[in-house]
Amino acid sequence: MKVVVTSIVIALILGLAISLPVLAQQNSTITITMTGLNEISISLDKTQWPLGTIASNTEYETSPAIEWCTLTVQGTCNVNTFIVGDDAEWVSDPAAYKWTLSNDGTNGEHIYGLFFRISGDTARGYVPITKTQSEFWPYSGGSASSLAPGDTKQFGLRLLTPTYFFSGRQMQTQITISAVAA
Amino acid sequence: MAGYIKSAGLIAAFLVIFFPCPALAEEVNFSVIPAEVRIANLPPGESEQFNLTIHNKDEIAHNFTVSAFSPPEEERREGTAEFPDDSWISFSSPRIEIAPNSQANVMVTTAIPGGQKWAGQHWETWLAVTAESSDLLSVKLHVRLLVSTVRTGFNAGLIAAIAVAVVLLGFGGYSYFRHRAKAH
Repeated sequence: MKVVVTSIVIALILGLAISLPVLAQQNSTITITMTGLNEISISLDKTQWPLGTIASNTEYETSPAIEWCTLTVQGTCNVNTFIVGDDAEWVSDPAAYKWTLSNDGTNGEHIYGLFFRISGDTARGYVPITKTQSEFWPYSGGSASSLAPGDTKQFGLRLLTPTYFFSGRQMQTQITISAVAA
Repeated sequence: MAGYIKSAGLIAAFLVIFFPCPALAEEVNFSVIPAEVRIANLPPGESEQFNLTIHNKDEIAHNFTVSAFSPPEEERREGTAEFPDDSWISFSSPRIEIAPNSQANVMVTTAIPGGQKWAGQHWETWLAVTAESSDLLSVKLHVRLLVSTVRTGFNAGLIAAIAVAVVLLGFGGYSYFRHRAKAH
């Protein structure tokens, strides 16, 4: 009798010893899901703002002011969009001279401000463009939803030049509008 | 008169040319497929690959760059944390030239280092595709990459249940044989 009981217990212990390490490693299969093979794409109908000669401590706006450029969602998925700016660099020698982009839209010596305004966005008005990516559309606190394929947003830009800068230098900067699936 | 010349000179000193010439305009129209990728059950110490397809819809060739981008917390999917290290993501071609009206694939490799520390995690990062341009306005498209690593630790609940089952089975067997022995 004792032999039978002992055999059962040993068999169970052996079974447990073999199965535990297997159970310890959860069964898994790596899966890659590409959500509906969605295509993401946005386009802008203008990418240049040739200002020519400008003066210090002066505001310049695109014309028309807030319907200057049209962003169109062209892919197959809804998107959230963002905007980020950068310092303006001297075209001839970018490392030698630049205007720093202000982080609040104010200006100073060799510091300039950039703003955008979306047509119909009366809540925010002109919004400073900074070197940190921020919401273009939709935005927190607003009731607007993400942009669907075919949707458009018209917007304009405003430049506030530095209170002082070195003259006769052609400056160039870049504003990036980005999109991500909503 | 001298004062007039002085102030005219001052104004002239503050004049510059700002932003590039329109003749250099390079409007870019492109798309990326897919918009979102989910890798699930990736064990620490292993890697996984997938393709991003970039479609240059313009009439001229463009250079595109691909890089990892850490999104702000409020833009990440719910329940995901910041991807720990962008160097775990690599691209077959971080910079690629695509002919007009053509598309090309960039293979993305996500390699998670080994270690229990990276098990059972849910991360999100973005893959940024940018068309190189000297224009004032440029477009960047982000692909969401969500990575979940598999749990490698002991499943305490399952093991406890098996242990209890073994004990009950052993006790049942013992009782059965004891009962049979008594009957005999």
